[in-house]
Amino acid sequence: MNSAHSRIPTTTTGLDIGADGMGAEYANTESAQVPEVDMEVNLAGLRLRNPVITASGTYGFGEDYLEYCPLEKLGGITLKGITPEPRLGNPLPRIAETPAGMLNAVGLENPGLDVFVEEILPKVKAMPTAVIANISGFALEDYVLIARRLQKESGLSAIEVNISCPNVKHGGMHFGTDPKSAEQVIAAVKQATDLPVIAKLSPNVTSIKEMAKAVVSGGADAVSLINTLLGMAIDIDKRRPLLGNTFGGLSGPAIKPVGLRMVWEVRQTVDIPIIGMGGIVRWQDAVEYMLAGASVVSIGTGNFVNPQAPIEIVEGIADYCLRNGYQRVEQIVGLAHQ
Amino acid sequence: MQDKGTVLVNEVQGAPEHRIFRLVLKTDIARQAVPGQFVHIKVREGLDPLLRRPLSISDIDREQATITIFYRVQGQGTAWLSQIRNGDTLDLLGPLGRGFTLPQAEQELWLVAGGIGIFPLYAFALAAKRQHSRIRLYWGGENVSFLDSAGLKAWQALGIELVLTTMEGSSGEQGLITAPLVRDLNQYAQPQANLSVAACGPTAMLKAVAEICAKQQVQCEVSLEERMACGIGACLGCSCVLQNADGSLRRARVCKDGPIFDGKEVVWHELSAL
Repeated sequence: MNSAHSRIPTTTTGLDIGADGMGAEYANTESAQVPEVDMEVNLAGLRLRNPVITASGTYGFGEDYLEYCPLEKLGGITLKGITPEPRLGNPLPRIAETPAGMLNAVGLENPGLDVFVEEILPKVKAMPTAVIANISGFALEDYVLIARRLQKESGLSAIEVNISCPNVKHGGMHFGTDPKSAEQVIAAVKQATDLPVIAKLSPNVTSIKEMAKAVVSGGADAVSLINTLLGMAIDIDKRRPLLGNTFGGLSGPAIKPVGLRMVWEVRQTVDIPIIGMGGIVRWQDAVEYMLAGASVVSIGTGNFVNPQAPIEIVEGIADYCLRNGYQRVEQIVGLAHQ
Repeated sequence: MQDKGTVLVNEVQGAPEHRIFRLVLKTDIARQAVPGQFVHIKVREGLDPLLRRPLSISDIDREQATITIFYRVQGQGTAWLSQIRNGDTLDLLGPLGRGFTLPQAEQELWLVAGGIGIFPLYAFALAAKRQHSRIRLYWGGENVSFLDSAGLKAWQALGIELVLTTMEGSSGEQGLITAPLVRDLNQYAQPQANLSVAACGPTAMLKAVAEICAKQQVQCEVSLEERMACGIGACLGCSCVLQNADGSLRRARVCKDGPIFDGKEVVWHELSAL
């Protein structure tokens, strides 16, 4: 498969009869100016080298996958969500496999804002990719508290506001299901930081369109969706819920149709850029999301299946563009709406 | 590393009703693996089952670049795995996790296994033998048929001291393996600095062994097991709870900070199985 960044050489064979009639045939191999696919995307003023990033909660703080997937290959990474205080998270079991998917109920286990700022943030500037912080809270003040400590000077590229994590009892869930609260949180975060603000939307709502409009009103620079779907599993041997937290978030290929539908709807409703995610494991899934309206795609559970998935997906998207005559990947965003 | 391992052997061991398989893979992972580590295996291509299965490494041959894994067919993942044929390849991540602490030469190492917990201890026993440590194995299983199918002969061939128990008394003492362990530890009047214990098996057994060792002030390592998604420390799906010296708690990832832990630190009631 051709790499997106390599030129595909063309050969021309010239038949040179030549003055002496000898008929020398020669091959004239030259790197023709075949269009490389421009994989750069613009996300609310940020230039990402390609449209593939990784999802919060699946990539730690960017250090666990280095031997499998160099950061230079990624458009960006989204860090594990942080809360003002350290959290131990939910009781085990936190993981359950489901048909073509999985449930997780990790519960925002994280070292807290202070440790994040003191120990993790200093490493961000050296990371050779866009780094997006993800923030969670239980009250509006929490989001503001965190956002104030995260500014452009840290080297971060953006803040993703998690108003949608379904795993924690009070963990932002009501922000994510109530348009007014969502708007307020986004507006407050916008005031507190000079970084672009991405609103991460929950699918566990009646109207994703209303939520999208609300965060736009709040001033969001971009939206990311979908977060996980609320689900559960039962342990038939113990005759109890399988997860320690009873409910968990469903992710993986099983949720892709829901994610696509919601990206479609949001694209019809708002103009701000969309980061599409939910069940992307192969390049075809990513192309579906982009055609539906996402200018960036995010890989989460896909990394567990194949740590090289993001690299393969970048190559697959580029190859798709090449084969279909698109010189810039941004050209395919939203095409399915035509 | 991520490596496509080639299947050299994948066959039933012993009596079929125990559903124990031996899997030998040719993979470069063998060049780095140490006892106590595991590999995260995509048992089937495609989306279902989606997640990899973490399986402990039982034997490591650096020269031949092979690893041996024993597994019991239990759920969907191992069922698919048992269908893999010689010559097939498997997508592997590994070697993963922190392995057992090797004893010093002339130290005494007691291995304590419950049921199929025996499997990861074999590689450790071989390594400890090379260190010229004195090794004793305590192994408890359902019955002698199980012990035979799970590799009793290979352990007998090591020439180390074996203490066996079976639940229904068909071999060795009847009952739990912790009984002879307690008796033998109680024979020492003073804490044995020269002795270390490594245990693998059902969580209730590990807890009992850790508590016995703590009481006798004997160094004890346990191999924990939890459901895993990423297997490499990124998702926090397998986080267990450990207690610090000052009594405060911290989380640790079974896949990355473990699976081998100091038995004294584990907060047992926070694990899945208890």
